[in-house]
Amino acid sequence: MTARTEEALGAALAAATPLGGDALKSCCAALYAQPAVRWLLGDELHPGGSRTTRRALEMAGIGAGDRLLDVASGSGASALLAASELGASVVGVEYGADAVREAREAAAAAGLGARVGFVQGDAEALPFAARSFDAVLCECSLCTFGDKQRAVAEIGRVLRPGGRLALSDAIAEQERLPAELRGSLATIACVGSALSAGGYERLLAEAGFEVVRIESRREDAARLAERVEERLRGARLLGFDSPAELPLSASDALATIGIARQAIADGALGYAIFSAVRR
Amino acid sequence: MAATTDAPEGTPGTVRLGQTTSICPRCRRLLDAELIEREGRVVLARACPEHGRFEAVVYGDAERYREIQRFDKPGEEPLHRQTEESRGCPHDCGICPAHAQHTCLGVIEVNTACNLDCPICFADSGTGHQEHGFSLSLEQVESMLDAFVRAEGEPESVQLSGGEPSIHPQILEMLRAARARGIPLVMLNTNGIRLARDPRFAPALAEIGVHVYLQFDGFDESTQIAIRGRSLVEEKMRALERCAEAGVSVSLAAAVERDLNEHEVGRIVSFGVGHPAVTGVFFQPVTHSGRFRADADPLDKLTNSDVIEAVAAQLPDWFRPDDFVPVPCCSPSCRSATFALYDEEDLVPLPRLVDVERYLDYVTNRAVPDLDVRGALEGLWSAKAAGGSAPVAERLECIACATAMPSQLREVAARGFMIVVQDFQDPYTLDVEKLRKCCVSEIAPDGRLIPFCAYNSVGYREQVRLEMSRPNGGDTAGTGVS
Repeated sequence: MTARTEEALGAALAAATPLGGDALKSCCAALYAQPAVRWLLGDELHPGGSRTTRRALEMAGIGAGDRLLDVASGSGASALLAASELGASVVGVEYGADAVREAREAAAAAGLGARVGFVQGDAEALPFAARSFDAVLCECSLCTFGDKQRAVAEIGRVLRPGGRLALSDAIAEQERLPAELRGSLATIACVGSALSAGGYERLLAEAGFEVVRIESRREDAARLAERVEERLRGARLLGFDSPAELPLSASDALATIGIARQAIADGALGYAIFSAVRR
Repeated sequence: MAATTDAPEGTPGTVRLGQTTSICPRCRRLLDAELIEREGRVVLARACPEHGRFEAVVYGDAERYREIQRFDKPGEEPLHRQTEESRGCPHDCGICPAHAQHTCLGVIEVNTACNLDCPICFADSGTGHQEHGFSLSLEQVESMLDAFVRAEGEPESVQLSGGEPSIHPQILEMLRAARARGIPLVMLNTNGIRLARDPRFAPALAEIGVHVYLQFDGFDESTQIAIRGRSLVEEKMRALERCAEAGVSVSLAAAVERDLNEHEVGRIVSFGVGHPAVTGVFFQPVTHSGRFRADADPLDKLTNSDVIEAVAAQLPDWFRPDDFVPVPCCSPSCRSATFALYDEEDLVPLPRLVDVERYLDYVTNRAVPDLDVRGALEGLWSAKAAGGSAPVAERLECIACATAMPSQLREVAARGFMIVVQDFQDPYTLDVEKLRKCCVSEIAPDGRLIPFCAYNSVGYREQVRLEMSRPNGGDTAGTGVS
């Protein structure tokens, strides 16, 4: 990563208003709220988008009447999907205040205000009583949390015994990742501090979960990376040239995404869904 | 209809997709027809009580055919309809009240004479004596343009064709007359021979502001000889050179025939992308409505999906089949298009950057994120568009904004390369339901607007020629049917 990139990232981190003292979380929330970033991802904030969400909910057997918590719910798309398509009662918890507001508006607009609520809060200190949910959904966000053990323990705490966890996340063999895919920017991009599939399994087991099934979604990750690359190429053709809004210049971003695509092809980087039950 | 029930219902490989009306390719009488899926393709089938059963393939990929029906934009009213319904579609064209669309592109054939004798010609033109041949006067063309303006208000594109329009002695005046009526995209459909030979012609077109629609079927000598009667590669190159020098933008128009130049479609696109004058390519699967291969098997005809797959297969680094999205103004299986942003280093199809399918889906009930963007995309995915024209440039800029990328929009205008695949119908493939939504019209000398595929399939062309060759040169617009 170039000096310019690090500098821009530093500025982005400094500019974000820290809530709960964790600048990385704020930066992450702020970056994914950027229209340009959303455009690059094609509004698919995790590989496979709503297809992956449906599959994760299905694998965990989440259905009508379940009290579901969506951890790091973003602008609410998955919570609304679980409520409208499966009939679950959903609470979304999200670190970014703007995203919470947006999610509430979306729920109201969809006429789902009675069954879906959103609260602002920290995944490492969930603002809910013990055993208050039947199920938890956590998509593409555990990898960005600074203290993963604590976050998983918190999920275990708010789940009732026998409660189910639908977790989808980036998986990475860190020792096989090239240097360009490590560091703070890579962390925000869900890569830098992602665990291996075995790593997540151990993390969950230590927190009292039994992992029932792991399903690789590497092809979805490959497609998402391909799309980001195409859109970066398109952005260059439109005259995109290192604007202040983004922590990366077009050419740096293109080089990095190329390396990420190679890592996905090599199997060092991927995506997976885990379904687990709290003992 | 009994003729289409050879296979019992539920037989694998034969699925009914819908009913329509067609004609008998021999006697042209109207017949009930059925669209069926067979071996993964869409076949139009009907039986004439006198001439028997006729089948023709109308789309090479049945799955995609079903999927693209959602790209069907509700039709728009023309300002003025010139004929009444009496004999029934497609015999009242002009446009009659049964027609479900206005006209995006008007075509005026200014003559029947040509400086080539292409075996492929659907207009039955040539260099020799023209039986029932004609050459319109400037006044006639002006009154036809006026009729088009009356029907459309502010038409966006017109094409002067023939015959070979460039050999008409008043062609420049005619093109100027079209521009003078405020039509932003005025195209000259030409074989390029005059452009190559007459050094003053391209600069004259540049001065008027004409877009050249250049017949360009490929590079192989065998292709050239089969389609055009002789090798024309050198003349095409000279013509393009002169256009580039004069600043005239060009679309390459390639007739594509199975086993003839199918293998050249990728090379035509990459040549166009690399040529300074060329802003797009139009592929037309060859129709068998003229004199070409009258014995060709209509079940072996190329269709849009075949051409799209060939382009993607021959240029895998640039295109996928789903980069081509149906033009929603006409029937979804008539015309598919894509735009690509490009420069010397790279090329990216626009549908990779903006979810074009979502914006142009009129059936699936989904919210459209931005109506301005939909409007711009409708203007691009249209028969009235050609790469490099001013309205296309404006619309590409609007799309660029939709990417939410903070960018400097450096000459986006010049960077949109357009590829169109347009399957015109012939008497074998004619589907009257599709015809009712046609938005490309031949402007007849009497001012009627006749949907292009009706003009070439059900006898209008022959009628017009017969009338025009009478001593007074036929009725002209304004005095004709109204």
